[in-house]
Amino acid sequence: MSGSDDSPGDLPNIPPETPPTDASDMHTRADIRRIVASSSLGRQLRAARAKKQREQAEPVPARPTRRARRAGGVLPDVGALQARIDGLYAARGWCVFDFQRTVWAHLQQGRSGLLHAGTGSGKTLAVWLGALLRAAARPAPGLRVLWITPMRALAADTALTLGESARALGLDWDVGLRTGDTGAAERARQARALPQALVTTPESLTLLLSHDTAREQLGALCAVVVDEWHELIANKRGVQTQLALARLRQWNPALPVWGLSATLGNPDHAMQVLCGPGGERVAGEMVRPVKLDSLIPAHTERFPWAGHLGVKLLDAVLTELDASPSTLLFTNTRSQAELWYQALLAARPDWAGLIALHHGSLSRDVREWVEAGLKNGTLRAVVCTSSLDLGVDFLPVERVLQLGSPKGVARLMQRAGRSGHAPGRTPHATCVPGHGLELIDSAAARRAVAAGRIEPRHSPEAPVDVLVQHLVTLALAGGFDADALKAEIRTTHAYRALDDRTWDWAMDFVTRGGASLAAYPDYCKVERDGDGRHRVPRADIARRHRMQIGTITADSAVDVRWARGGKSGGKSGGNNAGQTIGASGVAALAGGRLGQVEESFIGRLKPGDCFLFAGRVLELVAVRDMQALVRAGNAARGTVPRWAGGRMPLSSELAQEIRALIALAARGEYPEPEMQALRPLLDLQRAWSALPRADELLIEVVQSREGHHAFFYPFSGRPVHAGLAALLAGRISRSRPITFSLSFNDYGFELLSATPINWAQEIAAGLLSGDALATDIEHCLNAAQLARRRFREVARVAGLTFQGYPGQGKSARQLQVSSELLFDVFSRHDPDNLLLQQAKQEALHDELDAERIADTLAAMRAARHCITRPPSMTPFAFPLLVARLRERLSSEQLSDRVARMVALLEKAAGT
Amino acid sequence: MLQLDIAGESMTLLAERALWWPAQSTLLIADAHFGKGVTFRARGVAVPSGTSDDTLDRLAALLDRTGASRVVFLGDLLHAREARQPALMATLAGLHAPAVEWVLVRGNHDAHAGVPAELGLTVVDEPWVLAPFALCHHPDTRTGHYVLAGHVHPALRVEAGGDRLRLPCFAFGPDVGLLPAFGSFTGHMTLAPDAGMRCFVVAADRVLEVPHASARRRGRA
Repeated sequence: MSGSDDSPGDLPNIPPETPPTDASDMHTRADIRRIVASSSLGRQLRAARAKKQREQAEPVPARPTRRARRAGGVLPDVGALQARIDGLYAARGWCVFDFQRTVWAHLQQGRSGLLHAGTGSGKTLAVWLGALLRAAARPAPGLRVLWITPMRALAADTALTLGESARALGLDWDVGLRTGDTGAAERARQARALPQALVTTPESLTLLLSHDTAREQLGALCAVVVDEWHELIANKRGVQTQLALARLRQWNPALPVWGLSATLGNPDHAMQVLCGPGGERVAGEMVRPVKLDSLIPAHTERFPWAGHLGVKLLDAVLTELDASPSTLLFTNTRSQAELWYQALLAARPDWAGLIALHHGSLSRDVREWVEAGLKNGTLRAVVCTSSLDLGVDFLPVERVLQLGSPKGVARLMQRAGRSGHAPGRTPHATCVPGHGLELIDSAAARRAVAAGRIEPRHSPEAPVDVLVQHLVTLALAGGFDADALKAEIRTTHAYRALDDRTWDWAMDFVTRGGASLAAYPDYCKVERDGDGRHRVPRADIARRHRMQIGTITADSAVDVRWARGGKSGGKSGGNNAGQTIGASGVAALAGGRLGQVEESFIGRLKPGDCFLFAGRVLELVAVRDMQALVRAGNAARGTVPRWAGGRMPLSSELAQEIRALIALAARGEYPEPEMQALRPLLDLQRAWSALPRADELLIEVVQSREGHHAFFYPFSGRPVHAGLAALLAGRISRSRPITFSLSFNDYGFELLSATPINWAQEIAAGLLSGDALATDIEHCLNAAQLARRRFREVARVAGLTFQGYPGQGKSARQLQVSSELLFDVFSRHDPDNLLLQQAKQEALHDELDAERIADTLAAMRAARHCITRPPSMTPFAFPLLVARLRERLSSEQLSDRVARMVALLEKAAGT
Repeated sequence: MLQLDIAGESMTLLAERALWWPAQSTLLIADAHFGKGVTFRARGVAVPSGTSDDTLDRLAALLDRTGASRVVFLGDLLHAREARQPALMATLAGLHAPAVEWVLVRGNHDAHAGVPAELGLTVVDEPWVLAPFALCHHPDTRTGHYVLAGHVHPALRVEAGGDRLRLPCFAFGPDVGLLPAFGSFTGHMTLAPDAGMRCFVVAADRVLEVPHASARRRGRA
């Protein structure tokens, strides 16, 4: 029911306008089905099943969480423990790094801080041993060390690593695991007694805090570690973490908190957000050299201008894979990962079983199988997404290929760091451009790394949705006193400036449903008891809320399952997965689980449609109870899911470097090999239009059957271009009724209208003016409805939309509503609702980046305007034309607008 | 407003998202979902109030304008049991003039919500035949009659000249016609109509037929 319009989140299709793919591509597609039947995913699933059976047959003693008896938790005294640590280092031939000693000292003295260093430099041991030393000095029963990690997949590995070192030190400690994957038996065991150390995620920690036993369980902590803090700081899960830490500090004001982080542009801010004032910043000392280069196509003139599957470079990629025993191929989206995996298998059928696919939508068993294969070196290549950005090091991996633009400097460094861990190796990442202009991205990323320009990450400011969620969470945990909680929440960085108005509104929202007393007479969520504490009175609300806590990041997700007995022609290809992996018995037809996919994607399919998932072609049989039932598809090719991963914008650091490189090219300088290779394309751009110099703004005006196009190239990154496109369209549409179709990418934006616009005249009349900019941005923002899309997440976090779960009763189904509909209802009946305001604010700040819009607009004003009328779509314009990331902005009456569209359609139909 | 011959009867498609049958002085309304907001609030989801008022106002205006002697609700009159809240029921009952016959064809939500006696409704199971039509909630074909139904909350994606919108619609196939959802607080399902289906979108105060060409499905990579 939510059926949103095309959003920038959608992936670009390979449009018909793309230069035609050659015959080998057609061959590829025809072969897909045959190869899928013997695909390595089948082997992956079988191996995962075998592993599971082995584990069930003989419980693996290495897993501390499976031991029946809880360890005693008694530690030797500090001196003895330090001696054991020194002994361990000596026995293994390690030397203690200075930064490790520094962190140990800080932790023993109860200080908090941030440790930032590249991967594989001993960060984990620095904080873990420090925490143990601190625990040894303060003997107490119960949970002592809490380890928060952003990814579930990482949690299991971390628990193993910590447990192993504790055993190596001869300590009587358990290291437990508590994530969304933790089974009921282990949960029950933890409810009786927690282990001495617990590895968990922000969501699971918040869930622990939602029980009234939380203080008892978490009150005796002596250290908290937040791993991969750079992954959390800039999002709402990071805010969730901040709030949870505030609660823990209430019980234990001197609790030291340590963050571990990769290289960041702003480590001081990161530390302050996590630790408050007075933290200690420690830098790891190992600076590993990183090799960054690009796979440069032999014939750039025949290289596609747009599109996203660089199949032209498939042969070159295969050559690289041949040269390295183990390679990680990173893509920016899950759909690209699926496509590349198919293409590689089609090209090298003999690699079935030796190459694998890894992304966040696949089921855990499959992911674990792939990770194990990477660790022991049995896999020669894995196509993956950011799902493998983090985690333990895979020693055999020698090489990283980045398929498509790296999009960010820090991301490329992080990914490069996943390779070259074996002794004597250096990390080596190679960018594989998806289309011509992406070569510039690679060159720009290398220059930014060399210059040390790395993206900063900032904490969100006082998100109301997370606040509302937190209030209900704490109301569940035995209730709260409003004034005390307000003070507690204000100790966090995100809410340090929380004003009374927002606080009162949030309290009203959870107790009465809104600020106006009369507005919500039937509302019931949190109630103030006779003793003045706020509690959740109803069990069904409590249950729904706990279901909701884990969904801060998740788009509404649908389980992909085999339709039982429905695999048409399912003779091979690992199809017995249906009976093995978590048979559910929930819905009559549901079989084994393949993974999850966004509801918005499944919503566009009808039964019988085919799509690519988990490396195979699947046919949709039915959708029920938040499950998509599938069977093996017969189609030669399927739709690729449009996962949200496509929403990855170019960072402004990288954008600046790109602008500089283009300006150099305009002066005839091509300083990097990528730029040399791109010369034919750049020459064409210059011949048909122009290459903008540093002080120039290029505007291209082209007429086509679609209408009148104007392309602007400020090279400021997609969020800014989205805002500028809406702003310019909005300013023009104020003076007359007109409808614009907007398109934008990292290099520029396009305004398409049915009628021509005299751009020189518009600019002279103040189109780029900085006057009334804030109002204009806000006005255009409303029109472009970015806020409406933002509201999706806000509504989910605040508990307005409820993600159903398998086996839900009818009553839950009656609460299903799309956030778009809610947005309309709120806008009309409760326009002052702070959640609406927040959605607008987020759109303004995160999606549009209003400050950078102002800066870019000023630069555009100051620049020399170079308006060209190219004979055809230029290399710069082409990606925008086919991007299909379209927004609409209109000042026409709705009925007039539709009547005009109907007239056009009738004309086209010849009626 | 738009006149259309359906199964030989002259019908009026109203921009208020209802169907008017002048010959029988009958107003057809599908999926009003009264009290949906109340239901959400009662279960701890803070949806603003006012949505039912909006739907009520439209119903009142339509009754007034058409002077209908019969109103047939094609199912899902109330959203859930919690919707049976006294003030709302009283207002709804107040719109029911004694001389006007109100009929409810039972829908899936009505089974759970129940139908309060004070509304003075005649409740029937589908299909309720009023020749040449079979009035239903679910859009299943019925031999011998043209089916008018609700349930799906149809909407259509209109796309032309670089512009695109999704609008609630009426959709008439060879055997079954679909009415848009009447309630203000209702979601929609986008139709993928075939050539044999005529679609009419509701755009603010107008009803417009959309030629079939525009209804092609998008998003297939």
